[in-house]
Amino acid sequence: MSVVEAPAITNPRARRRMLLRKRFMRRPMAVAGLVVVLVFVVTAIFAPLLAPYGAGATDFNALLAHPSSKHLLGTDELGRDELSRLIWGARASIQAGFFATVLAMVVAVPIGLVAGYYRGWIDTVIARITDVLLAFPFIILAVGLAAILGPSLKNATIALGVAAMPGVIRIARGEALALREEDYVPAAVANGANDFTIIFRHILPNMTSTLLVQATLIIPGAIIGEAVLSFLGLGVQPPTPSWGVMLQDAQSYLGQAPRLAVYPGLAIVLASIAFNVLGDGLRDIFDPRTTR
Amino acid sequence: MAEPLLEVTDLSVRFDTDDGPVHAVDKLSFTLDRGEVLGIVGESGCGKSVTCMSLVRLLPETAVISGRAVFDGTDLLSLSPRGLRAIRGRDISFVFQEPMTSLNPVLKVGRQIGEVLTKHLGASRREARERTIELLHLVRIPAPHRRLDEYPHQLSGGMRQRVMIAMALACNPKVLIADEPTTALDVTIQAGVLDLMRDVRERLGTSIVLITHNLGVVADIADRVLVMYAGRKAEEAPVRDLYAEPQHPYTIGLLGSIPLPFEGETEDGERPRLREIPGRVPSLRELPTWCAFADRCPRADELTRSTVPELRYVRPDHLVACFHPGPE
Repeated sequence: MSVVEAPAITNPRARRRMLLRKRFMRRPMAVAGLVVVLVFVVTAIFAPLLAPYGAGATDFNALLAHPSSKHLLGTDELGRDELSRLIWGARASIQAGFFATVLAMVVAVPIGLVAGYYRGWIDTVIARITDVLLAFPFIILAVGLAAILGPSLKNATIALGVAAMPGVIRIARGEALALREEDYVPAAVANGANDFTIIFRHILPNMTSTLLVQATLIIPGAIIGEAVLSFLGLGVQPPTPSWGVMLQDAQSYLGQAPRLAVYPGLAIVLASIAFNVLGDGLRDIFDPRTTR
Repeated sequence: MAEPLLEVTDLSVRFDTDDGPVHAVDKLSFTLDRGEVLGIVGESGCGKSVTCMSLVRLLPETAVISGRAVFDGTDLLSLSPRGLRAIRGRDISFVFQEPMTSLNPVLKVGRQIGEVLTKHLGASRREARERTIELLHLVRIPAPHRRLDEYPHQLSGGMRQRVMIAMALACNPKVLIADEPTTALDVTIQAGVLDLMRDVRERLGTSIVLITHNLGVVADIADRVLVMYAGRKAEEAPVRDLYAEPQHPYTIGLLGSIPLPFEGETEDGERPRLREIPGRVPSLRELPTWCAFADRCPRADELTRSTVPELRYVRPDHLVACFHPGPE
């Protein structure tokens, strides 16, 4: 009898990666979230290959048709294949969710860091402006901005990103305020670190888990926001498909074909939950203090 | 005699707080020679840490610093922020009291040490890594090539303090300022850390300023001791003289309050009560125009309560600020 031992992995990078993977795998919800997110992302990227029909292809022999082998989820009032439109629509949602979040993070985090680290008048100015902006609900801000910028997916994304900034600024500022008091900050100063090093090497990495969680809240927020803007006619313009546009179209046929509203609604809900759950899992595994 | 490495003259530090000024350090002068270990002792709040932190301006902005601190030919107190950053961690480095929190929890140990190297010496990543392994070896951390990639929480307290020392030594500093480096550690580890510091001085010729309230620690490794009280120098002497013939009643009080097991034990096992210094450190809100120790001093008299005692030599290298110096 021999015991087969797994080969010892000595490369520390590989070891850490393995550890992270193991931790992640122990969280079934997070794994499920990741799977769903991946499905959505892959769907969005490979929409042209996956969709059985073109986004605008109409079949006048099957208007408002029930699900069948030809149209798996049925068709809408113009005879367009619902499944195909859902798949094409994922593009707008994922794009808006991803880029709006990136935009919010890239702009807002440095602003919050500067405010929290330097304090003084610069902090007062930044904090008061954010407070004023936070008084407006996220979606109102986004709608207002989108109305100013004009309707298109790009402008809707920018509007959503900007609308998400005040929240991110406040969180980054709060974290910076707390982290600048940690003992390793004066220790770094004593070692000759300049402000830039302290802010970006010592303070920022210590707030990544917080920011990660925040990002995973913004992504679904932006996905829903994109749907709202498109529903209101401020985002993606028909006939280009988007879940919001589909909801808008389905509105008039709620009585006859409620499923037209249910499909995009479900897609939005599923995508939002998946990102949230994934974010929670990521926060847990990246925190070096997590032992499980 | 050669010029001292660090010469501090009339250093005063005042904190302007909302409740008025606090005089943390008052006209303190001292020198530090190359390769020397200077112990600074005193109770909490007597200005030990503030003195050292003021040298490279690590104090909050409310601190008002005056005087001169000439280090290797340049006056630290008139240096630009940029010039200071070049000196911090390179020529003068610190080891702080709290090893548990002074390391950044999300950066690997090796990275944190390496950062000092890349910053000050422009070392490449690979060079920094190799030098870091050397440093960890120097501070006697076992398996340094593995520890390098660990996070601070994976190390014990003593190990973290060694990492802090390694970081402080990274650029071969001329002065290492250790602010109560052993206070947060348990006794066996303390001995190891002190041993290490002694070793560092011998091998690298680093001057060390050791701040502590533990006279036992000082006796162990210092060459010269500076006793501070209420922001002023009370006594300064070579370590042997200070222990053999303490002159200032405050020093005598400090030495008397070290617990010595079995010393003075009677035959039936009775032990003498540990002595204490009555009273407390005076408030530093106002600079007393008399001897700051007068209220706690058994030798206090009219003169003590009306005039600030000047520092004077009782021996060629033994300074005391007291009107009634002398051993008990």
